[in-house]
Amino acid sequence: MALIYGLQAGGLYALAALPLAVALGIVGILNLSHGTLLMLGGYFAFWASTLWGVDPLVSVVPLLVVFFVIGMLLYRTTIRRALKATLFSQLLLTFGLYIVFQELANLLWRSNARQLDLSYSSASATIGSITFGTSGFIYLAAAIALVVGLVLFLRRAKTGQAAVAVGQNPRGAQLCGIDIDRIYLLIFSLTVAIIGAIGALYVIRYSIFPQVGMPFNLKGLCLIAVAGEGNLVGIVWFALFLGIAESLIRSFPGYGGWASIVFFALLIAGILVRTHRERRR
Amino acid sequence: MKHLKSALLIAILAAAICFPLYTGTYLHHTAANILIYTTLALSWDMLLRSGQISFGMSGFCGIGSYAAVMVCLNLGISPLLSIVLAGLVAGLVATLLGFAVLHLRGMYFAVVTLAVAEIFRVIVANLSVTGGTMGKLLPGAIFGGNSYGIYWLMLGILLLTIGLSELFERSRIRFALTSIRNNEIVARSTGIDIFKYLVFTFALASAIQGMVGAASAQINGFVMPESSFSLNFALLPLAMALFGGVLSTPGPVIGGVLLGIIDQVLREQIPYGHLLVYGIVLVVVVLFMPNGIVRAARVQIQRIRIQRIRPTS
Repeated sequence: MALIYGLQAGGLYALAALPLAVALGIVGILNLSHGTLLMLGGYFAFWASTLWGVDPLVSVVPLLVVFFVIGMLLYRTTIRRALKATLFSQLLLTFGLYIVFQELANLLWRSNARQLDLSYSSASATIGSITFGTSGFIYLAAAIALVVGLVLFLRRAKTGQAAVAVGQNPRGAQLCGIDIDRIYLLIFSLTVAIIGAIGALYVIRYSIFPQVGMPFNLKGLCLIAVAGEGNLVGIVWFALFLGIAESLIRSFPGYGGWASIVFFALLIAGILVRTHRERRR
Repeated sequence: MKHLKSALLIAILAAAICFPLYTGTYLHHTAANILIYTTLALSWDMLLRSGQISFGMSGFCGIGSYAAVMVCLNLGISPLLSIVLAGLVAGLVATLLGFAVLHLRGMYFAVVTLAVAEIFRVIVANLSVTGGTMGKLLPGAIFGGNSYGIYWLMLGILLLTIGLSELFERSRIRFALTSIRNNEIVARSTGIDIFKYLVFTFALASAIQGMVGAASAQINGFVMPESSFSLNFALLPLAMALFGGVLSTPGPVIGGVLLGIIDQVLREQIPYGHLLVYGIVLVVVVLFMPNGIVRAARVQIQRIRIQRIRPTS
């Protein structure tokens, strides 16, 4: 039971962490506004569903397009100027964007939580004596699809290979004739498009309010820090592992509040062990 | 020039001390609130001078506020003394923690401090001694809620922090921290035990944060995991310091006061989403004044002065 819900939650963590990792690894920008973009995508899907009856799964496609354009605008107006700046400037810039998006949502839709009521969001299945919700498997399936897609894109596609090259050594890539500005634009917009679309998946199962973004930033960042920037497959494994660990704790009655501590404790342990190993080398 | 500068400083100090005499209770509380965040901004900057970006401020604020409330309730210590004790507790925790995490650099340090703050919050929210998610209530606010006392208390803590920050800037600690920020390998090879300075700075900055958290708990008269460990304690001061200009004493202080005032004015105008303008200000500052407003203003003043000496023909 806990295992199943853990896998589902882990899938969602992986989904949120993957685009963040790509943006950090290739464009070299730590995008703190990432989680709020997920929130905005979620709101779009929510309104499309309540006002026009569009299924969130259907709205994934238009969201990809809309958020790709948003990503391009963001890159052109702000991100490009901060690429060569220090880590603080980047953090402050994307943190400023994070506040802008979150407060925009606050201003437009107020802070109350909203939940979609879909026919399949409470679908369940029974194996033996346990019954569980199945709609969460969307996250697991989407996470696997996303990581396979990203890895294939980065290894096989010409643009993907160019992007990896830019991530490793921008100047070297430029000397080889790669238009790095175009790659940055493309990859950044792609990560924004993906995270916006994930917002649509998010509202299938969970309720949405302006503050949902930050936890995804934190958990995504933590996963990247543990698995390592370029290790996309590793991020998925860690996300699933942590999802399961968290929901195992939650399944003990009375100890539900301790669940998130396990998450952070495991992450700190992971980071400390990793850096300790690196220092030894 | 030097006389003019010190005269100006004394005038500002006098104005800050006399401020409550000419204003009402509401403004006292508002100003005390701004002073709280300004102090945090400066304490954050003190560690930043070593190149370490901490997101753990909310954790130390929370520890401080709980420590103060617990000693007040259980040992019957006076509120003022409890604030000092809270600073000691936060400093002690930071020292122990520092030995474990200060070896980390850059993003890893930032993420770990954030995670540690969350862990503190979860622990406090789940223990029965600390009142769980409901928190604890004090019998009353500090000084019986007297707004003059509250304002002067926060001003005192800010002045103490400014003093410490300036002391750091004028001592060898500054060289140690700057060398870590600029080139750690060179710093190590000169034979300076930089780690010692790093732990000391981290402990002191955290002690200040603990005192601020304690003072804010004593002013409000209660502690709760959600409000005492609020992420606002980490994020708003960070924005203030960067707004004013990091790696100096005046930058975070001026940035904190200015952004604090803007924040308060907007809060009254737009109850929902007043932070939107906050975010826009940040983005604009980063893109057009990356060194913060204090340095941007200084450059402008210097330009005007040069023009005066050499009038354009």
